[in-house]
Amino acid sequence: MFQHSLILSMILVSIGIAGIISRRNIFILYMSIELILNGINLGFVTGSAMFGKEDGNVIALLVMAIAAAEAALFFAMIVVLFRSRQTLDTHELNLLRSKEQDHA
Amino acid sequence: MTDLLFFTLALLSIVGAIGMISFLQPIYAALSFIITLIALAGIYALLGSSFLFAIQIIIYAGAIISLILFIIMFLNIQPKNLPKEPHKTKFILLSLITVTPFAFFLIQMIKSLPLIQSEKAEQFGTIKSVGKELFSDYVLPFEMVSILLIVSLVGAVILANKQGEDDVPA
Repeated sequence: MFQHSLILSMILVSIGIAGIISRRNIFILYMSIELILNGINLGFVTGSAMFGKEDGNVIALLVMAIAAAEAALFFAMIVVLFRSRQTLDTHELNLLRSKEQDHA
Repeated sequence: MTDLLFFTLALLSIVGAIGMISFLQPIYAALSFIITLIALAGIYALLGSSFLFAIQIIIYAGAIISLILFIIMFLNIQPKNLPKEPHKTKFILLSLITVTPFAFFLIQMIKSLPLIQSEKAEQFGTIKSVGKELFSDYVLPFEMVSILLIVSLVGAVILANKQGEDDVPA
């Protein structure tokens, strides 16, 4: 079962990376990042169950806290960006892109 | 019985994840993501971490997903605000093909690992033993995470409070 749950953790991380590569909706990108964090958490919990120590559980707990902090900032930024741009498309959110590239 | 339960939950979580990256509307994606999170909570319970099972349901399926749904409904997203993704299915298939080789090598690596069950304590995964570990060996990371949470919440309030004058230029 440990082997299978490690493989499941790897599959979830892979699906999350595929979502980040292929989608343009900013909400889906956020949920893909959360999916990667969840896959990593499953790996930590499996390690914890395998070695019989609590370290993996504690690290999974800290990862969840960091994900919550990330959620708060991410949604504040989405609200501000949506108010001024009226779009969820990551190709439109190109504030840091240089002007020369736009005309090239 | 445990194996059957594990495979059902694993299948549910993979189906939810694939649905999450393939729905066009973000609200369907969020609802599909809940399936993944709850199935993962069940897998944590099967692995013996009863505390993380509860925390996963409370924080992820409860707080974070309801925050996502709240923001999606609050923004009142019309179809014209959504990005046009005419080749979405093709892109998803191509990116899955891209990550497959790495996944294949990782599966080979996992298969070669000696995965043996070590001795478990009586109270493994309960809130008592996780809390003891958290407040003895992991006190410094715990305090740093609490500072990070405060900083990010203050930042979120300041960001969302901006009115008009210094908006992000369009």
